[in-house]
Amino acid sequence: MQQDAHEFLNFLINHINEIILSERPQKSKNGDGDAGNSTPEPTWVHEIFQGILTSETRCLNCETMSSKDEDFFDLQVDIDQNTSITHCLRCFSSMETLCGDNKFKCDHCSSYQEAQKCMRVKKLPMILALHLKRFKYMEQYNRHIKVSHRVVFPLELRLFNTSDDAVNPDRMYNLVAVVIHCGSGPNRGHYISIVKSHDFWLLFDDDMVDKIDQSAIDDFYGLTSDIQKSSETGYILFYQSRDTTETNINEAKVNGK
Amino acid sequence: MTTHKSGQSGRKKVQVSFVIRDEVEKQHRAGVNSLQYDPHMQRLYSAGRDSIIRTWNTKSSREQYIQSMEHHTDWVNDIVLCCGGKNLISASSDTTVKVWNAHKGFCMSTLRTHKDYVRALAYAKDIEQVASAGLDRAIFLWDVNTLTALTASNNTVTTSSITGSKNSIYSLAMNPSGTVIISGSTEKVLRVWDPRSCNKQMKLIGHSDNVKALVVNRDGTQCLSGSSDGTIKLWSLGQQQCIQTYRIHTEGVWALIATEGFTHVISGGRDRKIYLTDLKTKQSVFLCEEEAPILKMAANSDFSGIWVATSNSSINSWSVPKKDSLPDEDNIEPVYTQPEQTIKGGPAIRKFHILNDKRHILTQDTDSNVAVYDVLKACKVEDLGKVNFEEEIKARFKMVFVPSWFNVDLKTGMLTIHLGQDEADCFSAWVSAKDAGLAHNDIIDQKVNYGSLLLKALLEHWWSTLVAEEDGDCHQDGPISNSPVKDYFRVPQHTPLIFSEVGGRTLYRLLVQDAGGETEMSILHETVPSWVADKVVEKNLPKFNKIPFYLVPYASSNVKSIKRERLSANDFIQMHKVAEHVYEKMLGSETGSMAGAGSPNDRYEDTDSTSLAEDKVELLCNDQVLDPNMDLRTVRHFIWKSSADLTLHYRPLKGNLRP
Repeated sequence: MQQDAHEFLNFLINHINEIILSERPQKSKNGDGDAGNSTPEPTWVHEIFQGILTSETRCLNCETMSSKDEDFFDLQVDIDQNTSITHCLRCFSSMETLCGDNKFKCDHCSSYQEAQKCMRVKKLPMILALHLKRFKYMEQYNRHIKVSHRVVFPLELRLFNTSDDAVNPDRMYNLVAVVIHCGSGPNRGHYISIVKSHDFWLLFDDDMVDKIDQSAIDDFYGLTSDIQKSSETGYILFYQSRDTTETNINEAKVNGK
Repeated sequence: MTTHKSGQSGRKKVQVSFVIRDEVEKQHRAGVNSLQYDPHMQRLYSAGRDSIIRTWNTKSSREQYIQSMEHHTDWVNDIVLCCGGKNLISASSDTTVKVWNAHKGFCMSTLRTHKDYVRALAYAKDIEQVASAGLDRAIFLWDVNTLTALTASNNTVTTSSITGSKNSIYSLAMNPSGTVIISGSTEKVLRVWDPRSCNKQMKLIGHSDNVKALVVNRDGTQCLSGSSDGTIKLWSLGQQQCIQTYRIHTEGVWALIATEGFTHVISGGRDRKIYLTDLKTKQSVFLCEEEAPILKMAANSDFSGIWVATSNSSINSWSVPKKDSLPDEDNIEPVYTQPEQTIKGGPAIRKFHILNDKRHILTQDTDSNVAVYDVLKACKVEDLGKVNFEEEIKARFKMVFVPSWFNVDLKTGMLTIHLGQDEADCFSAWVSAKDAGLAHNDIIDQKVNYGSLLLKALLEHWWSTLVAEEDGDCHQDGPISNSPVKDYFRVPQHTPLIFSEVGGRTLYRLLVQDAGGETEMSILHETVPSWVADKVVEKNLPKFNKIPFYLVPYASSNVKSIKRERLSANDFIQMHKVAEHVYEKMLGSETGSMAGAGSPNDRYEDTDSTSLAEDKVELLCNDQVLDPNMDLRTVRHFIWKSSADLTLHYRPLKGNLRP
């Protein structure tokens, strides 16, 4: 059975985080004031990957805006054929109307009302991981199938779906790594990855490491037609903020100890 | 009353709901969504979020209340007065449109063609036509004379429908001659239709948000729109474009009234301020400020005053200055600071907390008053006044766990209790009759089921009439069963009872006292869901809830561990019963059976004459000694606190310490 790279990423990040937390000296023994169940201080894993999404909901009856923040380690975006990451992120943050059987329970109105909701990025992470939802459940087949749509991902990225109160909305990102799924379906195939190291792109395929040309990245955008069954497509994209060089990340590691 | 059905809709699960309220509710309990003024009778009609339409005498400020029109089960969103004040038509979030006799105040018919909240109505006076529209995006046109002629046998109406709106409709307008109809929606455009052909005429683009208020002039050549984008726009239908934009309000514009000649507009909205604006000169006068967002305004016949409805329950009347005596400068202070007249509204319940006994509800209203309600008796039992709500919740905490069996909703500002939103849930609460206050004596402790009791009380006139009819037919001469338990608490007879699809449309509303009537009986026969009839008519007992648990000797108690016994018992079993079992079976006494583990039909009876096993055996959970009167579900919820199977430890008590 083929394991999912995105699931593994989640597991890895959480697991590293737990290890760091368990190795931390117990605060309460140091006589720290707040012995309550407050959230532990962020680790360097948080400092590198964690961003904040804010979902803003406006009730269409009383027009009161409410917002809720949630942390994320990666953004999971739906994809469309022959589009770009920027387009997919725009869709990710497009306005959704909660209506029909899916109305919003408005505290002000004490009742279910229609509402408009959108998700935007409030805090941009140091490393932005984008998970392209290429494994989609198809009701007519009663199983997940691989969506090989061509989605262009640029070498440089700027987010436009940031909230009005975003901390660092203008962050510029550079593409630094891509996890690529090779194969025809979710349950089989092979993962390879490309990583940028010292201005060279390296392709990692099990124990083989090759230097590749930057232009070869285009090969992993996806397929323009649905006829071909197998594809080598970008699955998880890692963008690194331009204002954080490697030294910054190393500093974060030191500080997070 | 006649019913117009657009076809029986699916097989959605049916829930039973009721409202806890006074018999006569003279005041609105929540916001007022719409107003209509009858200049001949000098009466005001108001449509409440409390589901009630009220009629007011505006001639004097002493005896204002005339009557209530009650039949809707959710917010009444809009009303129009037609036939020269004889009839009223209402639109509600219960998805129906209703036709009323305005003078007598009774509901004549119910139109069920809409599939979602009906938000707006429009009226063409000259041809007695009414249009309704709402969140289902559809507009229906109704001939008022046909609607008012509906009878029980002749209850079909043909309606023209206008479809094509791409979004939920929040506003609607028609001119008196009915030559044009305009809808406003979250699509941000106005759509204009010809109601005679139902054809689309144009789309007016310009607003950047939802359109919530619309007025059209007499000949249908111009219209005014108020939008959530904060602007008012004047449109020329001939030129198909916006000819003026008025930026007066700081927030959404929700209510508009225009003078007869379309020279001035009065506007109100989310910013609570009311302005009078000259459409030509664009000059605005700040008339007055309300305490809550403005939802609707109605002018009196000579435009010297307006009635204003807000999301508060009171309705104010304000003066309007004559057009020729308007102040020249834009005024920062309002022209009027005091309303001419006020129709006082009542408080709405805004917060609730279900106490652990799952019977009493603590509420707090908009006046900060805290009260206690008894769900089983469907009434208020205690007024606590302006006390701290959170403190009161803490003070009334009891370490008792009863499964939840009903849902509460506050949309009308009154307590609405829903039964059967989840079918199994309603019958999950078995409680001792003694605790419930239904036992006649202390000797036998029978269990009662809250959901079953309440349904019996709510439908008592229905099932008792059914049973009486059956008995009459078969002429049974068996003895009348003499239960040691009073069957149920009676509920106030004026309590409204509502059958509706879960998360959907209302099927039927009636008062508890009317359920035995002939018409009501036949409608109930069709409407009462089987999960209710099974318990109330067939008298089937709900199932007991079993809790599996392990009984293990306490580590230091020197009892040789025979085995880790896995048992299952009813969730209301008390610890002294478990102690008995341990004493009789596990510590090697005589035979005995785990009481109460049987089927619901063997009534679990517990007499105090049983041996005091609790003096000989002690039970513990998570190292905490358990009170013999605590029941199994309470132990699991408050002491075990885990989803894993409950483990109880036992140890014999060395000597009997009691005297």
